Amino acid sequence: MTKVSAALLAVIGIVAITADWLAPYGVNDIDVAGALQPPSGSHLLGTDELGRDIATRVLVATQASLQIAVAAVAFAFVVGVTAGVVAGYLGGWTDAVLMRVVDVMFAFPVLLLALAIVAVLAPGTTTTILAIGIVYTPIFARVARASTLSVRVEPYVQVSRTLGTGRIHILGRHILPNIAGPVIVQTSLSLAFAILSEAALSFLGLGIQPPEPSWGRMLFDAQGFMHRAWWMSVFPGAAIFVTVLAFNLFGDGLRDVLDPKQRTVTAARKNQ
Amino acid sequence: MTLVKTVLGHPVLRFLARRVLYSLVVLFGVLVLVFALVHLVPGDPVRIALGTRYTPEAYDALRSESGLDRPLVAQFFSYAGSAATGDLGVSFRNGDPVTLTLADRLPATLSLAAVGILIALVISLPAGIWAGLRRGRLADAIVRVCSQFGVSVPDFWMGILLIGLFASTLGWLPTSGYAPLAANPGGWLRHVILPGVTVGVVAAAIMTRYVRAAVLDVASMAYVRTAKSKGLPPRVVTLRHIVRNALVPVLTITGIQLATILGGVIVVEVVFAWPGLGRLVYQAVATRDYPVIQGAVLLIATMFLLINLAVDMLYAMVDPRIRLS
Amino acid sequence: MRGRAVAVGIVLALCLTACSPGRRVDLGDEAAGNLVAAIAGEPDQLDPQKTTAYFSFEVLENVFDTLVEPDEDLEMRPALAESWEVSPDQLAWTFHLRNGVTFHDGSPLSAADVVYSFNRIINEKLSNAYKFSSVSSVTELGPDTVRITVTQPTPNLLTNIGGFKGMAIVSRKNVESGQIATHPIGTGPFMFAGAKSGDSIRLKANPRYWGGAPAVSGVTFRFISEPSTALSALQAGEIDWTDSVPTQRVDELGGDESVRLGVTPSTDYWYLALNEARAPWGDVRVRQAIAYAIDRGAIVQATSYGTATANQLAIPTGSPWYTEYHRYRRDLDMAQSLLRATTLTDQTLDMLVTSDYPETVTTAQILADNLKPLGINVEIRTVDFAAWLDEQNKGNFDMLMMGWLGNIDPDDFYYAQHHTGGKSNAQKFSNPEVDELLDAGRTEVNRDARKDIYAKAATIIADQVSYIYLYNPSVIQAWTTRLSGYQTRQDGAIRFRTARLN
Repeated sequence: MTKVSAALLAVIGIVAITADWLAPYGVNDIDVAGALQPPSGSHLLGTDELGRDIATRVLVATQASLQIAVAAVAFAFVVGVTAGVVAGYLGGWTDAVLMRVVDVMFAFPVLLLALAIVAVLAPGTTTTILAIGIVYTPIFARVARASTLSVRVEPYVQVSRTLGTGRIHILGRHILPNIAGPVIVQTSLSLAFAILSEAALSFLGLGIQPPEPSWGRMLFDAQGFMHRAWWMSVFPGAAIFVTVLAFNLFGDGLRDVLDPKQRTVTAARKNQ
Repeated sequence: MTLVKTVLGHPVLRFLARRVLYSLVVLFGVLVLVFALVHLVPGDPVRIALGTRYTPEAYDALRSESGLDRPLVAQFFSYAGSAATGDLGVSFRNGDPVTLTLADRLPATLSLAAVGILIALVISLPAGIWAGLRRGRLADAIVRVCSQFGVSVPDFWMGILLIGLFASTLGWLPTSGYAPLAANPGGWLRHVILPGVTVGVVAAAIMTRYVRAAVLDVASMAYVRTAKSKGLPPRVVTLRHIVRNALVPVLTITGIQLATILGGVIVVEVVFAWPGLGRLVYQAVATRDYPVIQGAVLLIATMFLLINLAVDMLYAMVDPRIRLS
Repeated sequence: MRGRAVAVGIVLALCLTACSPGRRVDLGDEAAGNLVAAIAGEPDQLDPQKTTAYFSFEVLENVFDTLVEPDEDLEMRPALAESWEVSPDQLAWTFHLRNGVTFHDGSPLSAADVVYSFNRIINEKLSNAYKFSSVSSVTELGPDTVRITVTQPTPNLLTNIGGFKGMAIVSRKNVESGQIATHPIGTGPFMFAGAKSGDSIRLKANPRYWGGAPAVSGVTFRFISEPSTALSALQAGEIDWTDSVPTQRVDELGGDESVRLGVTPSTDYWYLALNEARAPWGDVRVRQAIAYAIDRGAIVQATSYGTATANQLAIPTGSPWYTEYHRYRRDLDMAQSLLRATTLTDQTLDMLVTSDYPETVTTAQILADNLKPLGINVEIRTVDFAAWLDEQNKGNFDMLMMGWLGNIDPDDFYYAQHHTGGKSNAQKFSNPEVDELLDAGRTEVNRDARKDIYAKAATIIADQVSYIYLYNPSVIQAWTTRLSGYQTRQDGAIRFRTARLN
């Protein structure tokens, strides 16, 4: 399973990078006369309501979605892991305050918080990245903190501290390698959900703006044509599904290898 | 004074008190965040909201009605105070009191969430138990794969496909809309099926995993092994011990999922034109109606917290190990 | 045991949602003869003299009256005014009010109400004040007689005071109590009976309506923004009428026996406007280049699926004021040669569109494709309609697309939008010859001469690309076969006064 999903991810990654070359047509090549054509030799996945090639748009949208997902998760990773490690290592007031902030953010369902952020800043690509990034920061914080806590009490770390070894040194040599496992697993899982969130935001018209193609937006456009162009709904959705599935399976596979103690799952379930 | 003593003396009550206090702290944080929303907006939210209905008088009126001309801290406490008494301000778009609008939309979301959870339970309980009992075998693998699929499917895609198949093509069910249960039960059922299934299937995928994990946990527990060694027929062991004891964590998982559904239901409500809280939030965001956004977010976050609190309390009452931690 | 508890809990939850005190549905719905109409959006307010939203007028058409009103051929007919005369010098109009007309609260209609209504629009400079621009006074000559004096002959006074319900006769009490925006009181065939924000507005029949009591007991306007929802509700019999019909479904609905479809060429028109206050759009050659680059045919097809009529001017073919004009066609060479004379290279164009009118978003994408070869990069900015209006009024755009609704007189089609300083001239067009012609058209009493004036003005407007006119859409409505006594109107006004449900 892990190997299959890894291969799938590699394919998706390649598509994302080479989309512009792979695409048979332009992203906004309008041909109203040829609108709403079913899949055929010249248009493998059919055309949309403006005659644009759906295959092209699905391919190029891969780029946009992955870019946003990666940027957002990178943000969440950097901010979240830093906060989690600091909280876990320093303990005391820092820990209490940081974790209360994280708890507050956890009190909001994911999409709701993202929507609220989009309401404050205007819809667009940057806002989407920021919104998704902020929303996924807490989970990284919790995972990093949980791992840090469990490592902190390890004898070799205690010994290091007694010896007077510098904090940075301890962090680098002992803590970080140990939290790497669960955090990497979380990254893969978060990428999966980041893609879903971006698709949802674009579907609501609050993410990637036209004429930039995005899977979510393509599904939104498809709604008005369900009765006569099923291909408009099926293919973009399938693209989302396959990509998210790949990240999920890969993350699960990674978890079995890197995080056998299931720290990611427990961290998510615990309230403190 | 005696009340406090009673609470402090009893371990369960002590735990509950701690949790309630903690929830209040988080709720306060939520309030701060929600309040900050309006003030983080680049540009003037009142001006944006008025749009073409802008006149200097309307602007001043709306601004002072919303209290935006007072110092920040005063505004916050005023907002918090009003919120506590149920006054969440008025909509920027049509001047309706936010609380009334929320109360109007809540039943639709609740009925969708309830149907969704019901469907999720109907799917995940048997599937999770079955998979847990047949761990490592084909049935288990099938269930796990289905669960993965379910988690990866975008709910709005599923909704669109369901509409496309059952409504547009087959014409068996309406494409969208809502009919209230009290007035029109038949219509309510017809309208709630597709969105309910959409919500339920995705929730089921998540819950199946937890049910399975719970069953596995319980199956390996000492007293189950004891029961088996006592010579009770395997069937009896299964039904009586495993299922009954796994049901508690399942209940808590249901609670958590319910909370998640309340927030995640936004997109499904939009796809099915379901007049609930989720769609309200979406429309408010699209029109920058900040008081409504604030009110809805506050309400949903509060419900989220309350449900999580209830789940914790349930867990605590049942599992003694938790209370002592 | 616990499982049962869960089940009971869930059942209780369901009951809770069922028995909720959310008085959700209006009692009138199931009552015999109540018409349920689904419109695509919610009125922003119900004060006819202040609102500019079509959704509001869909409702208010049935609640208020004007002195005169257009019939189905868009000729002005008596309404609250039974008859009128014009003085020989064309400067004084005298209107005789109908007897026995009452407002919905029972108070009788008198000349004082008409005077109050019109003066309110004029003095408070409300949305349609410009229609009274030539009016110097509105006075009461007697309890049933109103005199309107004008500073110059005004051949289109009747359409000005009665073209649509923006100039409705309102009740002073209703206005001064501040209730009119939420609880309007008019003289029309239906009375306001309640509203539920985000859901519906209820009207009930006015038995004392001067035109005869309506045949339906009331009308409930429900707001259903998704066309597919409205249509399936119609097909399921949950609603009786809707205008929320996506053009791509017209073909298939035509064949549906359970639904009656009304498709009428309308007096609306859609256009593109370039902001002349911003460089380089102030240069007429740039604007003309764009006019030569757009693919009007594709736009018409993609937005209306054959139900609209392409038009390079505003006035549709059915109107007696129609003028032929065919200058532009998609010609990239012509466009590029025009641009060569300018300094334009690699230009970004900020196109303002709104999600509330999806045809604007569709068109924007087509334009992005059309204008790319000219080196113009179209950036599409999608906002909601309120924000769109704001941006338009602030001049914060390079190009926009919008439509104007329901016009009758040529002055309505051109003056406010193209006269220097016109109230709706967001593109800041200014041409002295056009100004002269438009002003002359307002006072020219001879119909042929007037037609000539407007033909000339329109030609210059299109030559100078104040607007790039796109098409006249059709009014498309669908209703149940049980509904009779209703017809689709060219001006898009929704009149249920003679509707009957069988």
